[in-house]
Formats: sequence, C-alpha cells, structure tokens
Amino acid sequence: TRLAVCAIVLASSLWSLSSAPAMASTVIKVGHVEAPASSLHVTLERVAEMVAERSGGELDMQIFPQSQLGGQREMTEAVQLGTLELTVAPTAFLGGFNPVASITDLPFLFPADPQQSQKIREGQFGKDLCESFNSSGVVCIGIWPNGRKNFTSNLPLTDLEAFSGQRFRVMESSVLVDQMRAIEVTGVPLPFGELYTALQTGVVDGEENPLDTIYNMNFFEVQDYLVISEHGAIEDVILFNPAFWSGLTEDDRTMITEVFAEVVPEMLAHKTAAAARSLDKIREAGVDIREMSAEERNEFRSVMYPAARQAYLDKAGDAGAELLKVYEAEYDRVTGQTNLNK
Amino acid sequence: MRLHEKRISSLNGVLCVVRLVERVALVSLLLIMVLLFATNVAVRQIGGPLAADLAWVDETVRLMNIYLVFLAAGLALERGKQVAVDSWRETIIARTGLPLKRIIDLTGLVFSLYLAFLSIRMARFVWSMGQRSATLDIPIAWIYIAPAIGFALLALRYCASLFGGIDRYTAAEKGHGE
Amino acid sequence: MILVAAICALALILLVAGFEMLMVLGLPVLAIKSGFFANLPDAVIAQKLTGGINQSLLLAIPFFLFAAELMGQGQIAGRLTALVRSVIGHTRGGMGYTTIGASMGFGAVSGSAPATVAAMGHIVYPELRRSGFSDRFSLGLIVSSAETALLIPPSITLIVYGWITGTSITALFAAGLGVGLLLGFAFMVLTAVEAHRTGVKGGERPTVKAVLGALRNAIWALGMPLVILGGIYGGIFTPTEAAAVSVVYAIVVEAVIYRTLTFAMLCNVAERSAIQTSVIFLLLALGSLLAYFTTLAQIPDFILAGLAAVDAGPIMFLIVVNMVFIIAGMFVDPNSIQLILVPPLFPVALSLGIDPVHFGMIVALNVTLGMITPPFGLDLFVASSSLRKPVAEIIAGIWRFILTNIAVLLLVTYVPGFTAIFSALAR
Ligand code: NA
Ligand code: NA
Repeated sequence: TRLAVCAIVLASSLWSLSSAPAMASTVIKVGHVEAPASSLHVTLERVAEMVAERSGGELDMQIFPQSQLGGQREMTEAVQLGTLELTVAPTAFLGGFNPVASITDLPFLFPADPQQSQKIREGQFGKDLCESFNSSGVVCIGIWPNGRKNFTSNLPLTDLEAFSGQRFRVMESSVLVDQMRAIEVTGVPLPFGELYTALQTGVVDGEENPLDTIYNMNFFEVQDYLVISEHGAIEDVILFNPAFWSGLTEDDRTMITEVFAEVVPEMLAHKTAAAARSLDKIREAGVDIREMSAEERNEFRSVMYPAARQAYLDKAGDAGAELLKVYEAEYDRVTGQTNLNK
Repeated sequence: MRLHEKRISSLNGVLCVVRLVERVALVSLLLIMVLLFATNVAVRQIGGPLAADLAWVDETVRLMNIYLVFLAAGLALERGKQVAVDSWRETIIARTGLPLKRIIDLTGLVFSLYLAFLSIRMARFVWSMGQRSATLDIPIAWIYIAPAIGFALLALRYCASLFGGIDRYTAAEKGHGE
Repeated sequence: MILVAAICALALILLVAGFEMLMVLGLPVLAIKSGFFANLPDAVIAQKLTGGINQSLLLAIPFFLFAAELMGQGQIAGRLTALVRSVIGHTRGGMGYTTIGASMGFGAVSGSAPATVAAMGHIVYPELRRSGFSDRFSLGLIVSSAETALLIPPSITLIVYGWITGTSITALFAAGLGVGLLLGFAFMVLTAVEAHRTGVKGGERPTVKAVLGALRNAIWALGMPLVILGGIYGGIFTPTEAAAVSVVYAIVVEAVIYRTLTFAMLCNVAERSAIQTSVIFLLLALGSLLAYFTTLAQIPDFILAGLAAVDAGPIMFLIVVNMVFIIAGMFVDPNSIQLILVPPLFPVALSLGIDPVHFGMIVALNVTLGMITPPFGLDLFVASSSLRKPVAEIIAGIWRFILTNIAVLLLVTYVPGFTAIFSALAR
C-alpha cells in the first residue's frame, strides 16, 4: 500500500503544474550556468533573500542554476526577449552580443592584489564596461568578480619555455587563442562538457580555470601539474531584461542595484574560501603545485598581454579601442605604475 | 474535378523541384559534416598550431546539423518516417466514420505553419539585436532561419497530403523504419 | 487541475488517433505554454526548439546513424555474422547464439536498435528457421537481441541521457557495455532452454580453416569497434569525434576494401540517415521545450516533497520509476519518454543518493524494453517491414523476451554494484 501511495504522490506531483501558485508577487527568474554549490549560486541565494526582505515579499527571485534554462548564449538571448528576467553571465560568453566585452579575456587584466582589482572594477573602467551592454538589448546593473583562472597540464609547467608546444583547451574566443599563441601554446576551443574526457584522453594537455572549478569538475584527477598563475579574470555581468527593469519602481531598481553591490565582499570571501579548500584537496590528490612569483607574472604578462591586446583591437573596433584606453589609464592609476606592456 | 486534378499536378511539379533541392542539400550537408569533423581530428593528431585555426569546425557542424534536421523534416513525413502510433487509426476510421486522415493533415498544416511563423519572428528579432556567433562571426539569426524553412517544408507536405498530392499513409505502412 | 487533465487527455487522444509523435508532443506543449505560461513571449518556443538541439554532444547521433546504415547496407553486418556462426554455430541451438552474438557485435558498431534489427533480420532469420527454431521464437529473438545494440557502446540512448543529465558519456558507455553483455547473456540462457526443450539441432563442427577464413573475411569489420572504443578510451578523440571517424572508417572499408559501395549508394544511405536524424532531433527539440516548462514549474521540487511526505526511500522510488517507464514504454516511443521523464526524475534520483550512471542504466534498460513492448514497439515495426511478417506474429513471440528483459532490469536496479564495477573500469 505504501507503494501505491507513493505512486499516487508521484503521479499527482507530475500533475502539479496546475498548483503553480497564484502570483501575488513579481517573479524574477534568474538563470546561470554554475553549480548549486558555486559561490555564484550561493551569493545569488543571499541576494534573493535580501531582495525579498527589503521589498516586503513583493519581489520573488527564482534561481535556476546549472544551465537548467539553457546554455549561456540562449539565456542571454532569453533576457533580450523577455522570457528570462535576469542572468548573471561570465563576460567570456558574451562576445557575440557585445564584442567590447571581450576585453575581460585579456590575460593579467587585474593586478595580483584583490583590493586594487576591486578599485579598477568599481572605477570608470567597470562603469564603461557595464554600460557597453546597454546597447545590446539588455541592462547591465553591475559586475561581479568570480575568480581567477590558473593553468593546469599533464606536462610540466616549470617556466615560460616549458609551455612551448603544449595544447590547452580555451573558451571560444580569438583573444584567448592569441594569448596562448604568444607563449607558443596551441589554444584548442572545446566545449566545457567535453573537457574532462579531453584531458583524460590527452586530446589536450592542459586547461585554464579557477581552483574551485578545477576541483569541482574533477579536472585534477586527470592533470599532473598546476601553476597558481591567476592570469585570467572571470567577470560576471548582471543583466536584466530592459522592459522588465524599467517596469520596476525607481525604489526597487535602486534597492536591487545596491543589494548586488553589497554582497560583493561576501562573494569574494566565499570564492576565496572555496579556492583554498579546493587547493587542499588538489594537493592531497598528489598534483604538483607551484605558485607564480611576481617577477614571473610580469614576464608572462609582457609576452601574453600585447598579443591578446592586438587580437582584441582587431575584434572590437573603435569602441573597443576606447574602452581599452580607459582600462589602461585606470590600471596605471590604481597600481601607480605605467603600463609597460602595451 | 478537372480543376482539382490540375491543382494536384501543379502541386506535384512544385514538390518534384523541392524534393530534388532537399535531397541534394541533405546529402551534401551530411557528407561535409563528416569530412569537417574527421579533418579536425586528423589535424589535431598531426599536431601543431593548425588545430587552433580549425576552431570554427565545431560551431559550423552544429549549424549544418540544425539545417540537416529541419530540411529533412518534410521529406521524412512524405516517406512515412515521422513516428506515429498508427495501430488503431484504421479501426477508429471504420468505427466512427471520421475523416481522421484529413483531420491529422489539417492539424499538421496549422501546427507547422504556426511554428514556421514563430521561427521567422524569432529570426527577425535576433537579427535586429545583431548577435553574432562566437567563432564563425556570422549572425546567430541563421540558426532560427532553419526551423522557419523546415516547418514551411513540413506544412507543404501536410498540405499536399490533404489534397491528395502525396500518399504518406501508404508509404508509412510499407516502410516502417526500414 | 482541470486544465492538466485536459492536456493529458489531449495527448492521449492524439496518440491513439495516430497523429505524428511530433504533434503528440508538440500540441500539448503549446497548450501548456498558453495555459500556464501565457505571460512568457511565444518566441520562447522557437528559441527552445533550436537551442535544445544546438549541442556538440548530440552531433554523435547523425554520425552513428550514418555509420550504422552504411554497415547494415554493406558487407560488414554479414561478415560479422558469418564469423560468429563459424565459432558457435555448431552447438545445439547454435544459430540462436549466433543471432545474439552477431547482434551484440553489430551493436558494438551501431548506436541504434532499429538499425540493428534491419541489418541482422534478413541475414539470420532463414538460418534460424532452418536450424529448427520455431517461427515465433526466431522473430522474438531477432527483435530482442537488437536491444543490446542500445546498451553496448556506442549508444544513442546513452548519448541522449548524458545530454539531458550532464553525465559523462565515457562512464555511461563503460557501464552500458556491462549491462549490454548481461542482457545478451540472459537471452542466451533463454535460447539454451528453448533449444533443449524443442530439440533444436546444431550445425556441423567447422574446420579450423573455415574459422580462420571467416576471421580473415571479418577482420575489417572487427576493426570498427576497436577504432571507436580504442579511440575514445585510448585518448585520441571524444565520443562525438569517434562517431565521425566511424563513418569515415565504414566508407573506406565498404568502398575501398570491399569495393561494394558505389557513390550512388553512398548518397542514398546519406539521405536515409539524414531523414532518421531529422525524426529523432525533432522529438529531441520538442522534448527540450517540454523539459524547459517542467523546470520552470519546478516539478522536481514537488516530487521530492511528495516522496518526503510518504517517507519513500530510493528503493520505493525506483520501483515507481520502473513501473512508470514500463507502462509509458508500451504506448509511446521510448526516446520521447526519456525526454519527458528524465528531466523531472533525475534531480530527485540524485537527491536520494542514486548514482547518475546507475540511474542511466535503469533508464536505458527501460528504453530498450519500450522498443519491443506492444502495442507500440519501434523494433517490432522495423522487423515487420524488413522481414515482411505481420506485427501480430512478431508480438506473439516476444513475451518470454520481455520477461527476461524485466528480470535483468530488476537485477540492475537493485544491485547497483554491478553498474559501479563497469563504470569504475572506465577510470
Ligand atoms: Na551500440
Ligand atoms: Na513499446
């Protein structure tokens, strides 16, 4: 009989489309590509909580993680269409919507110091980057730091020369392919879902990702060497559907923007803790780990940055050149050094 | 009656041309898809920086596959290959006397036309947004033009079946799967 | 509630009346859209239809279908069968074992059960009858042996499951090999019992020379699984790329080595494969639209809450899952069922601690079962058309095989260690 009850419950649950709650509040559907345990998702849940509280339950954010509502390209398109109210998207996936956004693919975009980085993000550069989205059918209300990429490989990564001749998986971006070409690495764009198998089988030698991704996706199981290079920035933009956004009250808009800015320290803390935890686990698994020194960072930057910069300029045109100028000025101002590697 | 026959024969003329175009397109698409993917594997095995130059292969083959899928939809219906549970169809027709086949064709026609219409609207919207693809750098709108064409071809077949230009039901009985 | 009932009734009516599955899935989805998600722009339908199938992983499907068609039409299927028969054909009921072995062998190069039925049926059927098996048993055996092709890699069913759930295809393929071998073994036991019961004779014991001759004849055919599996597990290419390579291999073997494949035949086979691809992908596209609405309605949460309410654990859950799949599989195309049921059930399975690969095997076995269960069994229809036998005659011989299949399903469901061993071997 318990079986019968169970079957009935299951059937009636499948039935329950009908019991979708009557909508007294405004639903904000949020889609993203990361796992439920990711810093992004955890922070978004915090945002949902704060938004619900401060709107008196009027605004109800429903978060759909892990590409449940489609790949990032589709979700961004859905935000343009209005079938999705909000997506928090890594800029690396948005070059097709806004070529200017590929600027975040530049290697060593931010200095090693997280505080200096946050200054650049909050300054004129961050504002201009965010605004550059507003002409592509979405409203950007902020940028979230979502970690730094590091190199892993099955071949030693002792120094710059050691990279030469290796094959690395990169995301689909000409800037990333060219940054790799500068250090004589062949950048092979492969879908993320095929990366584990590709590393396991040696289709590529290595890859670049944040530490928690390397751990959560089990890439460390099929990689022998890790260099904590923090060479690539993962920047997420917060994109609203324009019609939905302008339909909110002025107060709600301000409140939401503030909440997203307020939680940045929490997100950074969560990300840092996740990275530290992941690093321990990766070390336990016997992966050869080393940290990139400040001199080495400069050395890699001096080779990689100019090549990637040129690829970016070729791709992003005049608008890109303008943003690049703003960025380089900000970088020099914040770090107090002149940007030597143009 | 004469008029009806005339209409069918002009419909058949159209179908002949459409069929030829579809067949040539499908065969070339599938063969080129295989060739591109295999070349990609071969180039990577040989190694060297050429592999990065073939970054566009995956996206191209995906796009071609979408066209393959939608361009074959009409032909599949005409040949009776679209899956359907037809075990009870004849019995229902005999028992109730309903013009069931016509109802199916008519519903299919409306269904396909509606989806073709939605696809065209989607393609126009995405075109207006100017979204471009990651590696090929062509307008993303192209991927939504495929279903627009595909459902139009499907609608054409439902229409032809409705007016007796093709006999897809007999084709289905003859060649289940095969 | 009334609206849901109406939509379910609509789907059922369309199904029974013989509308194309395209509409059996499509019209209810349109009804769901306008009934429950009226405030969503209609464009979402067009977007999901193409977005859902625009995936690298799914590219394996047209390629594996194409390769299977090439080999079924060409020489590879026949030569594989001849080799298996030369080795075990002489034993009592040997032609039965040959049918199973050859289906498994062809399954190792083909990802689709209907393709396997079509390729094997006309080769083995006359021989089965000649060696003394009854008509019913012969037909049942041909249809059900082909199921192993869906489990033994490559497998389109497992690729689709991996696409829906994000499970590693490599791990699924490894476990699928184990489950496929188990199912084949179960059918062999059934065949042995039948052979002894009805006094089926064996053939003549073959000479060593004959075996070697058959081996030499089949050597290129045997190379195919080696290329596919060796390539995937040996680190040369991903499963998707393996599919494209298998097409090239099949073309080279059939056209250059066996010299039987002409350009006109190649075009014909390509066209048929394109049509098959289209049929499968249109269902995949509509399925992903349906899955999208299930996600929006947060149905897995409701199921979980329901299960928690009656305090049901994984064992109870899996019983219900199997019952739902078996019943649905009788009436609906099993690939469509996978699209409808896996998206809401998978997250529930995960939260009950069921391993994704293990759940995948349960789903795959249910899909294979659905291929042969009447009234709607795709393989039954394919066998009917390629052997020119009425569907009713084929159904008459299928019952024992269905029961055997269910026994294997229960074993795999409740002995998760079996799946775990094979997926661990892949590592
Ligand atoms: Na197979
Ligand atoms: Na069935």
